Amino acid sequence: MYNFWRVFQETAMGMGSIAVAAVFVENILLSRAMGVSATLFIIRKKNNLWLFGAILAGIITFSSILVYFADRWIQRLEHSYEWTPFFYVLIVGAVYVCVLLACSRLPAKYRSQIIPMIHLSAFNGAVFGALFLSRDYNFWEHIAFGLGTGCGFILASYLVALGYERLNSSRIPSAFRGFPITLIYIGILSLAFYGLIGHGLSI
Amino acid sequence: MIRSFYQKHHRTWEKYDQFLFNNPILERGLVIAPIVVTCTSLSNALTLSAAFACITILTIAVTYAIPKKLPYTIRVILNAAIAALIFVPVSMAVRRWQPEAVYQLGAYLPLLATNSLIVQKSESRYHRQKFPVMLAQLATASLGFAAVAVLTGTVREILGKGMLLGRPIEGITWTVPSLLLPFGGFLLIGFLAALLQKFRLWMEKPPRKPQKEEQHHV
Repeated sequence: MYNFWRVFQETAMGMGSIAVAAVFVENILLSRAMGVSATLFIIRKKNNLWLFGAILAGIITFSSILVYFADRWIQRLEHSYEWTPFFYVLIVGAVYVCVLLACSRLPAKYRSQIIPMIHLSAFNGAVFGALFLSRDYNFWEHIAFGLGTGCGFILASYLVALGYERLNSSRIPSAFRGFPITLIYIGILSLAFYGLIGHGLSI
Repeated sequence: MIRSFYQKHHRTWEKYDQFLFNNPILERGLVIAPIVVTCTSLSNALTLSAAFACITILTIAVTYAIPKKLPYTIRVILNAAIAALIFVPVSMAVRRWQPEAVYQLGAYLPLLATNSLIVQKSESRYHRQKFPVMLAQLATASLGFAAVAVLTGTVREILGKGMLLGRPIEGITWTVPSLLLPFGGFLLIGFLAALLQKFRLWMEKPPRKPQKEEQHHV
């Protein structure tokens, strides 16, 4: 019994630290720049950011679980690096179809909101990036990294969305208005996250 | 002169040009991650641009043959799977040509197989065009990607490392290593996008007509 609690405690601590690292230290959007175009699209079209983030987190987590089992076999292949994207595409494709089939049973009201988000989030840089980055983790760490990446994506996208409306105002010089100033704003957010990690800047 | 040419042939220019005004990176932020993170040197930029052009042009050209009758979901999965298959020889060529680039580009090289142009824009934009028009658009898009990558890689290598193509530049006594971090990439591309927007606004502005008073003086 004591051993079970100890293992449980260690696993939970390990999962927690990896999830927190995925949210802040290795934020998929601000530290890795993955999923920027999807974020900007969602914000521009005024879609539901929280729903998109939740679906993204779900797809990453389910795909991570499958990748964990498939990776043992993929790593044994000659030229495994070259073939990895192909097998990951098949895995994400299978999750994509399963999620769509599951959601097709929902009432029409929810279905019309959720299905476009699934199309947008399945084959996304953030999903494949998270799968490539979590290759060295164990089963529970895979799940924690998937959930953490999704939460980190929601946090970063929310911060970008907060600034987006203001950055499109007429007070911004016309050359910078819209996309250029949003990118500079993301750069400043990224700098703030690097400061949070504790990277020293050259003086 | 260039402004009057642009205004005269506006529609044709907009149709084919993805190098300047419809640049995938500077207009919409598509495929921005590899440039922000890995374009910290000119050699990385050149390798990335070559791999991007091969994977994107070949994939979108091959997937043009996929029947439109198939459901969207299946078409998207096929697009990505074909891109991942094309990635295999491209990656082998990169490993042979620039072995260290595979490690420097890390996860960003395989990510090219699922870039937004292949997964989303092929369905919403490219496959709706006639084949030759699509090829011309893809060629200009690849050149546009390469131009931004090379510019970003060169500026960051010179200012961040004081080098070019791995060789130290004489006379540079100070560097800004923070430019090599992702936020340096975001800021640099943000300023490049602003420069392009400024140029676009200038091109779209109607040419100034001479005023009546000026004409009297003449």
